[in-house]
Amino acid sequence: MQSLPLTEPVLLIMLSLAGQPRHGYSILKDVEEMSDGRVTLSTGTLYGALRRLLDDGWIERFEEQESSRGRQAYRLTAGGRRNLQTEVSRMKHLTRLASMRVVRKET
Amino acid sequence: MSSLYECLLRMYPSAHRREYGEEMTAVFCAARAEIERQGAMARGLFWLREVCGLMRGAIEEHVRSRAGSHSRVPLPTGRFTMHSEFRFPKATAILMTLILAGVVLAIEKAQAISASLPHLNPPVGPIQPGHLTFLPPVLLMLAITYAAGLIGWMILFALKRLGVHRLSAMQDPSSRE
Repeated sequence: MQSLPLTEPVLLIMLSLAGQPRHGYSILKDVEEMSDGRVTLSTGTLYGALRRLLDDGWIERFEEQESSRGRQAYRLTAGGRRNLQTEVSRMKHLTRLASMRVVRKET
Repeated sequence: MSSLYECLLRMYPSAHRREYGEEMTAVFCAARAEIERQGAMARGLFWLREVCGLMRGAIEEHVRSRAGSHSRVPLPTGRFTMHSEFRFPKATAILMTLILAGVVLAIEKAQAISASLPHLNPPVGPIQPGHLTFLPPVLLMLAITYAAGLIGWMILFALKRLGVHRLSAMQDPSSRE
């Protein structure tokens, strides 16, 4: 079961799907771009994460209408989006807390 | 190359291959077409990442298919998916290759000299069992070093987990005031 906090690759996959539905290769490239090349997913890792997210109902798989080859694409479900927002709020809180502590230490 | 990838995909359970095999191969082919334009180092890293990712994914899928859909294998994800800020220096690889070539060359040279001067370099006789007495202490030392390394790694791993949990359990001081 996918639990919070999310690992960085899973978080980046979720963020990639937050903007628009994407197919596998598009997710791979977007994750690499978002992380400035720091996170490069292999196909095994990508599909392992997608499978877990599908099992937990965070994302759903559908056939792209525009594609003639019946390419499969992925999009966030309402529950997945809610979980992503929870995770982002948690990270915001943590970042704010960390900044406060660091500033307090420096002054 | 895609046939090699399809062979590696056979590590996965057949149900997973039926469902995602074609899609994974298509993504792999697209990624490989792009990596082909880059250097040999990038291609090597790409293949290493793919093979490790597939091995890990296959183990996870086999566990999932046997133990239910919500079971997970606690395998490390970061090592093969994320780059740290540290980049492996190419110069080190070149230097190591040069050293290896030097050692091989030196061995070849020594063998040639030894063959040309048989009276000065009598052949060493067969190794007697008495010569192998140093082996057990060396093996013991290796085992002790390995165990110490393993314990050290476990301590570091436990400290890391503890640190993460403490960090997530922290409360914002402003909300308490």
